[in-house]
Amino acid sequence: MIEVSNLTKDYGTVVAVRDLSFSVGKGEIVGFLGPNGAGKSTTLRVLAGFLGATSGRVRIAGHDIAEAPLAARRALGYMPESAPLYPELRVVEYLQFRARLKEVPRAKQSAAIGSAMERAGVGHMAGTVIGHLSKGYRQRVALADALVSDPPLLILDEPTAGLDPNQIREVRALIKGLGGDRTVLLSTHILSEVEATCERALVIDRGRLVAEGTIEELRARQHSSTLSVRVRDPNASAEATIGRISGLNLQSVNADPGSADRRTLLITLNEGLEPETAIETLVRALTEAGIGIHALIPEQASLEQIFSELTAHEKMATGAAEPGADS
Amino acid sequence: MNGFLAIYRREVLGLWVTPLAWVLLTVFLVLQGAIFYSIITHFASMADVSVDTGPVQAYFGQESIFLLMTLLLVCPALSMRVFAEERRSGTIESLLTAPVTPASVVLGKYAALLTTYALIWLPTLLYVVILRKTGVVDWGVVGSSYLGLLGIGAAYLSLGTLMSAMTKSQLVALLLTIFLEFGLFILGVGEYIFDPGLFRDLCAHVSMMGQMEDFSKGILDLRRIVFDGTVTALGLFVTTRVVDSWRWG
Repeated sequence: MIEVSNLTKDYGTVVAVRDLSFSVGKGEIVGFLGPNGAGKSTTLRVLAGFLGATSGRVRIAGHDIAEAPLAARRALGYMPESAPLYPELRVVEYLQFRARLKEVPRAKQSAAIGSAMERAGVGHMAGTVIGHLSKGYRQRVALADALVSDPPLLILDEPTAGLDPNQIREVRALIKGLGGDRTVLLSTHILSEVEATCERALVIDRGRLVAEGTIEELRARQHSSTLSVRVRDPNASAEATIGRISGLNLQSVNADPGSADRRTLLITLNEGLEPETAIETLVRALTEAGIGIHALIPEQASLEQIFSELTAHEKMATGAAEPGADS
Repeated sequence: MNGFLAIYRREVLGLWVTPLAWVLLTVFLVLQGAIFYSIITHFASMADVSVDTGPVQAYFGQESIFLLMTLLLVCPALSMRVFAEERRSGTIESLLTAPVTPASVVLGKYAALLTTYALIWLPTLLYVVILRKTGVVDWGVVGSSYLGLLGIGAAYLSLGTLMSAMTKSQLVALLLTIFLEFGLFILGVGEYIFDPGLFRDLCAHVSMMGQMEDFSKGILDLRRIVFDGTVTALGLFVTTRVVDSWRWG
């Protein structure tokens, strides 16, 4: 549905997107993830045809956006960041305008507008002047706009920005519910959003793709994992015992406030060490040292950690190469 | 012409559901009414009126400086928001990502401005109807006079559209347009200032007052129409290129 190859976009001297390549298949819901200023919006604007690419090719539903821009734009519904709308129009007037603009056949217009408003949850606001709507409702009107021509591809730039938790849940449910053979590419800097709605994520930082894959695949890329162990340690020998096991690093020791000999140990595993083996070794060593184990919780790295790791690594790498790459 | 009609309709709606068009209409009609009233009282006090200088000719022709001054106010105010507002509020992004060509965006918006301009002039037809009660009105002259006004409006609005596309600020668009159109107007005044020669001919050729004087006598000078058409087409063409260039900003 979307094929991007070697896309580069610069604004004069500032390179916003560098040599980006990815593809999104039919029916996929893909999250476009990155910190603020990573080039997400720029990339989506290029895909939507609002900005021209400096170099590289983009194909939307088989149409090259440089050679057949109108055909490509017909295939997509785009919701810009911050949902700009005409404040002087009523919701239904705005959607009528958008439906005409997107060449929805005259006979189907009112049905298309009705169903778009229903799906976006603004059906009861049809006669309200857009300028009087709250931020959440404007966001939904923009979403209805993206849906009105029933396009096979939706490109949503931060669809849940500025919404309250209930609205966020509704919008996520809506996006998931679109389903079928519709393709969705949505950008966000909130990881739980990707976790909640997307099957796959593209992680971008400083205009470059730093990771790509399903949520599980991204998780598997984590560089370290953590074990939290609650012990009864009368001889205070836990530190020494763990220090003898290679590959385990004791992060912190917290004494339980209730009793003197109960403590919680936080241990990180070295990269490459299998968590299962590490746990076995750890339990055996602790038991042999006469330490009672009350609980052992393997802490999965959250997406936030993976994300900051991915983007931090990228920063180090580009930091070294920066002078040459930018000149 | 993908989307031309949709953009045209929205633009007309957008102009008339906001106060702007109504404020302009009111200001315009108050000024025109005052001009027309003073012309009528002037003619009413005259003992003897020659055939080709009636109040209609005076209003559209000899005294057209007043009328053009109000146009220098109304046209830039009408066109200032047409692109500047869309770019400031970001709605240009949803507009240009719809399956529309820059040309249809520009033409749709421009046609809406021209329609609104014509609608603002429409009530002044009443003046002619009133005159007809007491005298004879040459409808040919009335027709050619309105054609002259349409030509001037078309050129002014085209330049205003271009200026609005050049900036995100409505105020800057307004000032640039007034500056440009006032410059054009003053150039026309040069006809009465300079010695005979090429420059004076040039001034006479671009003179809006000269145009109205000709048209109010029923003289349809093709050169005038070609000049208005050229300014309009050039303005719209450059605007289309400017809109296209935003993709590379």
